[in-house]
Amino acid sequence: MSTLRKITAWLIPALCLLYIASAVFDATRPSTGLNFKNFGTLPVVSNGRVQPLDSLARNALLSIHGKQSVPGDDAPAAPAAWLAELNFKPELADTRKIFPIHHDDLLGLTKLTRGEEKSYSYAQLQPSFTAVQPEAKRIGATDSKTWSPYEKALMLLTRNLTLYNQLKHALALSGQDHLESAFNLFLTDSASSRLGLVSDWAEMTEVYTTPSGSGADGWRKLPDSLIDASDERALHPATLAYARMGDAYRAGDTAAFNSAIKDYRAWLLENRPDHLKKSSAETLFNSIAPFYLCMVLYVIAFLCAIVSWLWQGTTFRQAAFRVLLIGLTFHTLGLVTRMMLEGRPPVTNLYSSAIFIGWGAIILSLAIELFHRNAIGTAVASVVGFATLLIAHHLSLSGDTLEMMRAVLDTNFWLATHVVVITLGYASTFLAGTIALVYLLRRSFGSIPKNTAASLRGMVYGVVCFATLASFVGTVLGGIWADQSWGRFWGWDPKENGALLIVIWNAIILHARWGGMIRERGMMVMAVFGNIVTSWSWFGTNMLGIGLHSYGFTDAAFYWLSAFMISQVIVMSLGLIRERGPQKPSGQVESLG
Amino acid sequence: MPSFKFLSSLRLTVTLLGFAMVLIFVATITQVELGIHEVQAQFFRSWIAWWDIMPGSKKFSIPVPGGTLLGILLIINLLAAHGARFKLNWNKAGMIVIHSGILLMLLGEIFTGLLGREAQMVISEGEILNYSTFPREVELVVIRPDGDGLETVTAIPQARLKDGAEFPFGGFSVKIHSYYPNSEILPDSEATDKFDKTRATQGLGKDYAVLRTPRESTDDRRDLVTAFVEVIPDGGISQGCWLLSNAFKGEQSFEAAGRPWKMSIRPRRIYHPFSIKLLDFSHDRYLGTDVPKNFSSKIRILNPDTGENREDLIYMNHPLRYGGLTFYQAGFENNDMTSIFQVVRNPVWTLPYISCAMVGLGLLWVFSQHLIKAISRRNKISPAP
Repeated sequence: MSTLRKITAWLIPALCLLYIASAVFDATRPSTGLNFKNFGTLPVVSNGRVQPLDSLARNALLSIHGKQSVPGDDAPAAPAAWLAELNFKPELADTRKIFPIHHDDLLGLTKLTRGEEKSYSYAQLQPSFTAVQPEAKRIGATDSKTWSPYEKALMLLTRNLTLYNQLKHALALSGQDHLESAFNLFLTDSASSRLGLVSDWAEMTEVYTTPSGSGADGWRKLPDSLIDASDERALHPATLAYARMGDAYRAGDTAAFNSAIKDYRAWLLENRPDHLKKSSAETLFNSIAPFYLCMVLYVIAFLCAIVSWLWQGTTFRQAAFRVLLIGLTFHTLGLVTRMMLEGRPPVTNLYSSAIFIGWGAIILSLAIELFHRNAIGTAVASVVGFATLLIAHHLSLSGDTLEMMRAVLDTNFWLATHVVVITLGYASTFLAGTIALVYLLRRSFGSIPKNTAASLRGMVYGVVCFATLASFVGTVLGGIWADQSWGRFWGWDPKENGALLIVIWNAIILHARWGGMIRERGMMVMAVFGNIVTSWSWFGTNMLGIGLHSYGFTDAAFYWLSAFMISQVIVMSLGLIRERGPQKPSGQVESLG
Repeated sequence: MPSFKFLSSLRLTVTLLGFAMVLIFVATITQVELGIHEVQAQFFRSWIAWWDIMPGSKKFSIPVPGGTLLGILLIINLLAAHGARFKLNWNKAGMIVIHSGILLMLLGEIFTGLLGREAQMVISEGEILNYSTFPREVELVVIRPDGDGLETVTAIPQARLKDGAEFPFGGFSVKIHSYYPNSEILPDSEATDKFDKTRATQGLGKDYAVLRTPRESTDDRRDLVTAFVEVIPDGGISQGCWLLSNAFKGEQSFEAAGRPWKMSIRPRRIYHPFSIKLLDFSHDRYLGTDVPKNFSSKIRILNPDTGENREDLIYMNHPLRYGGLTFYQAGFENNDMTSIFQVVRNPVWTLPYISCAMVGLGLLWVFSQHLIKAISRRNKISPAP
């Protein structure tokens, strides 16, 4: 291999590393002006867990707006900056167009007209609250399964408005010119006359800002901390800090804003070091966004793999493999960080299952690539990695992905065994299906050289074997968990049935192969059907009991799931077409290392 | 023999597994309409299952082989295949272990169905109970108080409750005037024309009307089992008509054969040779949410036979195994004052553990063999680059 090629094989991965380094540098660089980076790290309790204001702001924006940014030229750049504006200058935040309205009937109800963008501001929506609220009340009384698209859209808007209002009242008392002096009134004898005001305020928010007691359960809302203050005749350092931040923000006093944050962080470091460290780590994790970087790398790895098939075999095959390794390293770091933040095994909800399925499939593909060295493993790994992270991104739109575990799931032992193993079963079944897709698609573009076909066949067979093992053991471990926690091994519920379908389908492929009922092509077609079975088990079963908290998401997911299944059926039917003409001589498109 | 060849063929295995997938899929989507219990009975514990293509409309159903049929055929196929091709060597040993494990698991499910029993204990703080109840089954009890707090209880199982059925009690008999497997009960003033004309003349239910309704199929709803019951002295005329239902709490009294009696319809009970006292139930939620953080019940076990008297804690994923029964924290009600335990007897609960280990190790063994073969084959063809 020439020196130039050797350099190319290292140059592409090196550029990728540079790209990552710049992203990390960006995320860690201290901010100038109002220090929203530090503001974002401040811990609060929301959704039952300690989290940084940064996460609170990002998840709210994702839920409301569908993205983590606020539109407009003068709009706050970071989610945390938007949260500060929402609390300290609500009249300005109310003009940000972050509420998307897609449904025409809903738009008609709000008496707004369709503009360039499809999103509207709180201020624009406010006049129509008198029309929206009775509708929400009427619809809320009916069964959510019967809701029309208009009704779903209206309920989603109502939910987002509620969320918006709750955040708006998290850190400041509205209608006060100077927060610190308003709060100080609670320390005087006239405090009792103000308690009514506080109890109204406490109704408006579900964010707990002020550490008190021990652990995450003792935190108090800002208004409640004022009641405590009137007993103790002193403002809590957190309460005082938020008042000062608010006043400085309004006055445009950068130094005062930053020093209020700095003082409070110093107090936290002294008194709540664990909570501060956790929320700082989570903020850093949020701003580096490792899974987004991974997606970029997987696209590059895939392109390199394709190039290696068409041209310059070894050089680009190696480059692809190295880029994939960098991606996997970051994927692993992200996964481990999430585990440390939660104090849990890797899979705790649908979102993390997507992250883990991608990770598991890539690890398996790496083994395949090391075994076969023909870039197929790398290509498949990057496709599965990219697709699962994309799915994870869309799942994250429904809210906090580091949510607390319900009591019934609160056992690290079973999360670490059953859930991890069954998720590897999903991952390997998808992997076998994706390799089979490569086979069927390449076959439909021309015949596949004999040795490539043989290695693809070996890969699919091997992965199906692994999938059988993982899905079987995972399913039975689930049964044993059920036996431990409910007293029944098997209850035929949708999720259990879905897992069983994967086990049976893999067993069918193996038995059909052993019995000579299918050969290479048949096995590939059946492996692609494995994708349909697994996607049903992963998502389809969740859509059966369409519940209140899944609206919005479920409809879109149902559409995508159906589209995915149809696409798989199309590829399967490609596989059923017989070979056209005599086989071409091998070695045209192929280059083996 | 062609028929044996067919029974032992892999083609049959694949066909049966294919039908199993159809059955499981159809049963899963039918759960949206029917509850899980109905689906289990109609699809998995049946020979033929009828799949309602348009759920609820009952217009167009097609038959699919049911769980019992497929299970038995799969066992026959498995035994025949291994019988036909049985050879004891290391290559086959893994396969034999895998399939023995699967057989054990299928048998385990059959025995669980036959021997297992699931009941509930609904117990309030401070209460002492020595029985569990079956939430989907009732019994009609007639109770003779014997003084000193002792009672003689006669329980009539639900299966024997029918219109016109009569049960003698030495001196009088209890006659079922009309029986409703499920019903709606409303005060007279709110009842419409659809409600039955029968009215109670005695007891708690005098001002209520009853409407016959179809039995509940979903999991979260219970049948309201109701009966109009007459007490008739031997050779005499009826003392009147009582309305009994599991909708009413407590018993209703009457006088017959010169002494007081009580009767009621209540969830069927099963008694234990020990008692459980609920000391405390706690239920924490995550701050600012309705997401349950934990449920736990502090209990005391009182066993007069062994003299045991000790405290224990039952919580999620930590059941109490005692006296051949397992108590699971299943729920709560009554403003967190009442705890609900699932009480399970399953003598074969260890089978899935054994079979899982067998199949898992067997699969690992067989697939490692495949892998080693593949690696050595590759090394022969092309030495590693």
